[in-house]
Amino acid sequence: MRTKALFLGDVRFQIKYGFYYIYLFFSILYIGILFALPPQWRLTAAILMIFSDPAAMGLYFMGAIVLFEKSERVLNSVAISPVKPYEYVLSKLLSIGFISTIVAIAIGVASDVITKPFFFITGVFLCSCLFSAIGLIFACRISSLNQFVIATIPAELIINVPAIAWLFGYQKSWLLFHPGISLIELLRGSSSALPALIILIVWTLFFAVLAEGIVKKMLRSVGGVKL
Amino acid sequence: MTPLFRSFAMFIRQISRDSMLYAVCIAPLFAALFFRFGIPYLEARLCGYFNLPAILAEYYLLFDLFLAILTPFLFCFASSMVILTETDENMSGYLAVTPVGKKGYLVSRLVFPALISLFASVILLSLFSLTLWPLPLMLAVCFLASLFSILVSLLVVSFSHNRVEGMAVSKISGIMMFGLLVPFFIFSDIQYLFSVLPSFWIAKLCYDRDYLSILPALLTSFLWIGILYRRFEKKLT
Repeated sequence: MRTKALFLGDVRFQIKYGFYYIYLFFSILYIGILFALPPQWRLTAAILMIFSDPAAMGLYFMGAIVLFEKSERVLNSVAISPVKPYEYVLSKLLSIGFISTIVAIAIGVASDVITKPFFFITGVFLCSCLFSAIGLIFACRISSLNQFVIATIPAELIINVPAIAWLFGYQKSWLLFHPGISLIELLRGSSSALPALIILIVWTLFFAVLAEGIVKKMLRSVGGVKL
Repeated sequence: MTPLFRSFAMFIRQISRDSMLYAVCIAPLFAALFFRFGIPYLEARLCGYFNLPAILAEYYLLFDLFLAILTPFLFCFASSMVILTETDENMSGYLAVTPVGKKGYLVSRLVFPALISLFASVILLSLFSLTLWPLPLMLAVCFLASLFSILVSLLVVSFSHNRVEGMAVSKISGIMMFGLLVPFFIFSDIQYLFSVLPSFWIAKLCYDRDYLSILPALLTSFLWIGILYRRFEKKLT
């Protein structure tokens, strides 16, 4: 029940601060670009777009969200409320995962690149949760937006570079253990989609648990005192 | 002038504490090295693979343009993040009532970084450009790129009420860069649909080597800056 309320609160927050309008605009823009491209490029371009934007949304926005909550003393209220750290993490991950998945489905359906809807949807959702969890881990430890931007660069490089190399032909089988590559295989709906799904679940759970531990620590020390 | 320099020093201290200063200095250098040596290497590999005489070579000028814009853009991005934080924490309001003033606040946060990055852009471009640039063109483009970066930062800080909205707007502000691509990919008169974007005129100046494009580039830049400044000024009161 609490998670549901937190989730709805986060969705309202995202609507209020324009996430939905911005992604409506970006969806239209991406779809327009996809239609301007030659049809044989469409699948690769759509995968690249979904991977680099809606799926990675959490890593981009989480710093601003948590810093804003810190400055508005939202976290202080959360800390003394019955909300558990895992509920806070879950709500953040699910709410961003929700909008990411909607945007990815819109791009996928409009450009007709979805071959296996189950793998496509779960892939985007899990990857979004993974990115958000990583974003949350960094966001809890920073005090300014610039710090967050700098802190996320290594994570972005580690996730994006192998995935893009894979997309453009560097396909060694061991790379399938990489979460970004697992998402690409899920989006493509390839024959290795099932192992990719399992790998992505493991990565997402690992980072979600890690994020929960760090949020717990942060909530214990908001306002400069150990609760 | 002293309050402005003090305010600027405060900004520099802030971004050096966040390590953003080092990133802003190092990232354009890495990009320049990649553009100068990586792109021709990639071009040779691609041409060999597809058996074509040129693939990326036609767009070397575009890479140079991105290099010219990168330093001021990154520096002003760091500035806009600082301004967003300071606005959220009411610091910008306090600074605006000190001798720094509203205008001075923005000068120290945006104009000084843009000026410094103008020189950095000229140096990077003269050392690492892929195409030949006459000095007047290089100076004009780097100056316009700095103005453009100020404009993008103003867009972010004037259209957002807090950090979260700021990040959202900064995502959209990337669209302002689209103008750079237009003269390279749209050859019909449809390209003039993008004439409200200063980036379009900057690219046109380089693509056509027509120095007259400086006028609309300046005009659109100052128009945007004027409108956005007024908006931001209202936010500070």
